[in-house]
Amino acid sequence: MRNPLIKRIPKELKSDWPKYIVIIVFMVLMIGLVSGMYVGHDSMIAAIDEGRVKYRLEDGSFELKSRAADELIKDIEKGDMADVREYFINEGIKEADEEVEKAVNEELEKQVKDGIAQAVKAQCEAFGITDEAVIKEQTDTAIEQGFEKALKEAKESEDFKKAEAEAYEKAHDEVKKAVDEEWDEIAEEYRLDEEGFETTPVTIYEHFYRNAKEDFDNDGTQDATVRVFMRNDEVDMASFLEGRAPEKDGEIAIDRMHADNVGVKVGDTITVGNKKFEIVGLLSYVNYLTLHESNTDFMFDAFGFDVAMVTPEGFEGLGARKHYSYVFMYDEKPETKEEKADYADNLLKCLITQTLVHDSEIEDFLPEYTRKASNFAPSDIQSDTSGVSILCYILIAVIAFIFAITISNTIEKEAGVIGTLRASGYTRGELVVHYMSMPFIVTLIGAILGNVCGYTLFKEVAVELYYNSYSLPTPAVTWSPVALVKTTVIPLILMFLINLFVIVDKLKLSPLRFLRRDLKKVRRSKAMRIPRWSFLGRFRLRIVFQNMPDYLVLTFGVIFIELMLCFAFGLPDSLNEYGDKAPSMVFADYQYMLMSNKDDDGNIIETSEESAEKFSMKSLQYARQGGLKIEGFGSGEDESVTVYGISPDSRYVSIPADLADGDVYVSSAFATKYELKTGDKISLHEEYENKAYEFEVDGVVDYDGGVAVFMPNAGFNRMFDKKEGDFLGYFSRNEIDDIDEEYIATVITVEDITAVTTQLMHSMGGMFDVFRYVLVVMAAALIYLLTKIIIEKNESSISMVKILGFKNGEIASLYIVPTAIIVSIVAVFSFVVGYFLMIYIFKIFILAMDGYFSFYMKPVSMILAVVYLLVGYAFVSVIDYIRIKKVPMSEALKNVD
Amino acid sequence: MKAENNPNAFLRISDLKKSFGTGAAKQDVLKGMSFTVEKGEFCVLLGPSGSGKSTLLNIIGGIDTPDSGFVSIDGDKLKDMDDKALTMYRRKHLGYVFQMYNLIPNLNVKENIEVGAYLSDNPLDVEEVITTLGLQEHKYKYPNQLSGGQQQRVSIGRAVVKNPDILMCDEPTGALDYKTSKEILALIEDCNAKYGSTIIMVTHNEAIKDMADHVVKLRDGVVRHNNMNEAKIPASELEW
Repeated sequence: MRNPLIKRIPKELKSDWPKYIVIIVFMVLMIGLVSGMYVGHDSMIAAIDEGRVKYRLEDGSFELKSRAADELIKDIEKGDMADVREYFINEGIKEADEEVEKAVNEELEKQVKDGIAQAVKAQCEAFGITDEAVIKEQTDTAIEQGFEKALKEAKESEDFKKAEAEAYEKAHDEVKKAVDEEWDEIAEEYRLDEEGFETTPVTIYEHFYRNAKEDFDNDGTQDATVRVFMRNDEVDMASFLEGRAPEKDGEIAIDRMHADNVGVKVGDTITVGNKKFEIVGLLSYVNYLTLHESNTDFMFDAFGFDVAMVTPEGFEGLGARKHYSYVFMYDEKPETKEEKADYADNLLKCLITQTLVHDSEIEDFLPEYTRKASNFAPSDIQSDTSGVSILCYILIAVIAFIFAITISNTIEKEAGVIGTLRASGYTRGELVVHYMSMPFIVTLIGAILGNVCGYTLFKEVAVELYYNSYSLPTPAVTWSPVALVKTTVIPLILMFLINLFVIVDKLKLSPLRFLRRDLKKVRRSKAMRIPRWSFLGRFRLRIVFQNMPDYLVLTFGVIFIELMLCFAFGLPDSLNEYGDKAPSMVFADYQYMLMSNKDDDGNIIETSEESAEKFSMKSLQYARQGGLKIEGFGSGEDESVTVYGISPDSRYVSIPADLADGDVYVSSAFATKYELKTGDKISLHEEYENKAYEFEVDGVVDYDGGVAVFMPNAGFNRMFDKKEGDFLGYFSRNEIDDIDEEYIATVITVEDITAVTTQLMHSMGGMFDVFRYVLVVMAAALIYLLTKIIIEKNESSISMVKILGFKNGEIASLYIVPTAIIVSIVAVFSFVVGYFLMIYIFKIFILAMDGYFSFYMKPVSMILAVVYLLVGYAFVSVIDYIRIKKVPMSEALKNVD
Repeated sequence: MKAENNPNAFLRISDLKKSFGTGAAKQDVLKGMSFTVEKGEFCVLLGPSGSGKSTLLNIIGGIDTPDSGFVSIDGDKLKDMDDKALTMYRRKHLGYVFQMYNLIPNLNVKENIEVGAYLSDNPLDVEEVITTLGLQEHKYKYPNQLSGGQQQRVSIGRAVVKNPDILMCDEPTGALDYKTSKEILALIEDCNAKYGSTIIMVTHNEAIKDMADHVVKLRDGVVRHNNMNEAKIPASELEW
């Protein structure tokens, strides 16, 4: 026979349907959202993973200053380190040989000339010629006629040969000795002595590009930077979402996401460099799933940056500087992250030594596993699902607690029945199962409906969301078994455990205690003393004490909602604040970075622009503190720090001109992010060499635009072994138009700083408003469920005071005012907790990323975060009032069972 | 006729002692009670408030424990049973009827009776019990649609349907009027006759003793009289 108690469940569902509808809708939305996110996520990840193989994603790339000789490529492909010792010895010997040859020849020539002069002088004396002028004339003539012959004879003499050999030998010995003496230093600089190097053979592909100006509305002003590649069918290929690859000069295929953002489509014409191109395709490059221009970029920028494909003719026709970028593929693929790091380390050593011995220079080296443009999207998708799951689990926990409170109320109400059932022989387990079944069934219904919605409605939303944020290949929907487990099993387990704990604890009492309705674990001998307030005040206070567990759950839920509200208000506020402050985040309206400070003819690159001011710049690394790392964020292990050399009495960056070498100013972003203060010592190191520099912080420059260090330019040049007067670019208030474009590496303007906020606002934009309203509804639903419990618990008292003659308004004020006061206090308290929690979460997040971005909330947003919640409660209190009004007077007269 | 304490009786209550509170507030509720009840007997525990009759019933029912002494049923001592075994004992052997009906509000009459039937290995036919209790026309009603007497019938049905060895009744007519009380008592009498259940009924109503086979009078925690009733009359003829 089936347990007849089970028949109560559908009846209970029917009789209290508004409550269960709220809970089920809540769950369906949350679970549906998570399930949809997972399905979307799995589809996206599948598409990305498939794309990595299909479109031959690189294992990494490096850029050289000039095109690599075939020999160099062959040597790098072998994956071995070059013999640096031999290189230095050969270089030394070459230099020494030249010097020895020069010295020996000079000495020999001198000796031969001296010999001829003496012979002439002796002959003249024999002829009685004493006139010096005559002797000199004779000597010059003799040298002119006999020097070559005499020199040849001298060179052939045994004595000379011996002396020459000795000189070379000595010089060579000295070179070897010098290399030996300095070997430790050389080895350390190039990390040659570290153990564990293994040959890492790779295949290298040319993947040159040019960064050109893009003018997509053809109005003559630059709208974006476009990285143009030639069509490539070997590696880092593109998938076409629309149209086709360019086939002739004048055709271009650009990134789909960028095209969507800026509103261009296939068939449109855009200007790249100074040339018009017709868009024939919209693509997604496998190595540019997000449009990160540089790996140190805080955020991708699908507005200001674009990637494109043209034909070789089209590529050659672009004027912008060619970047000699090479893509490598390991012959044998590393499997784990550690292996990837080892492989990259080995290859970097190979690259450094090989470029050294081949007289080439590395501009950039980026293993794929640290590449933001290919890893940010999958990581972000991943963190989205975990973020939403956590959100879902917290809410389910809150609902579980609401259930637990409701059930413990029911248990109190049904104490007599429970006592009778227990006395009749129902086991505690059977009753636990009975009381557990409602939350379990409701969760199951929520999970099933949620999953149905997840797999149908929300899946589309999620896929669309990802597709709108990233340059992803076309996704094919995959079914996600993980989603099913995470959205069904985990909520059920959560609901099960929380309710099990509360119900088991509640049903622990003996049948007799239930029969006597004696359910208090701790019996107070006296009622709690309360202040001598008016009767109504004391009545309300009693209600507060009676419902403490409800208020605790309320606080827990409201803290969570306030945290979300802080996020929903704070992030747009922070972005706007960042945008507003952007002009103060650039030193100058224009920051020109030059390729070198000299032009092709060796002349210093100067400008007639009056506001232009020279500066130097270099990128170093700062060992990240705390060790937190989020995969896909940040350029790798360490924080990238920009080191500036500033002209004396600069009008753009204010630092003392007489700073001692080693003393620096740090940017306020650097100081805040790593809590640096004056007097602190910081160590910055080179990214690709084992070289570190120690600095002492001497002050802070008010600059939140990046993690940076400032020092006088003269000190900069000394510190980094530059020549006196060297510089790398110009700060300028106005655009500089008298420097040839080919010498300019990049220009940074205010727009580049605000690109981050523009991108973020675009990606998330309208979501925030919707999110805020959803939160208000959630808060209202949560409070509704809890106040319903409070009123239900007090139904017979409410009925009784009605009989006594209290008016509905008075009764409402007795039962609603305490909750209103508590909700108001909890709202403010929860806001404070949520706000600081958000700051903390934000800080942890920022610490794991490159750059700096501070959390900011406008005072009005702070007030609104509380007001929104109270508005949600205001709706509930109206429902509560109606509910109180509806309590019948007969309720108090009912038989207790 | 004085009842004899039979060491092999179906139900044995032997020197039961029970007190509540400690120190000066200590109150001895049972001060060493002993008597036996035979299988199929209708036994009434009679006594005024505070005489310890409900405590005694609870101890017999295995929902309370004595400080000393023991209760044995069919030779099994309750004090040797752990919580789980006691639950199984109640489940298999006992039916409970209380003064408060304690029906499940959102189950109808039939379902409330099924709640009892579920516990038994050999339950009576639910429909038959409903008919016996005169609840046929009410069987789909909910407790709040029934009168007190009807509700008590349902609670008796819930206890009887288990076909228990012992039916424990704690003041089953305490909240009912004279006429309804007599109907309920007649029902319990019928169950005793029809199903052969041993009945232990706690009451403070002296008149009820006349329908019992065995009357145990309690006062101040001790058995004052332990008599067999030789002039048993049907419940319908009771007067008070």
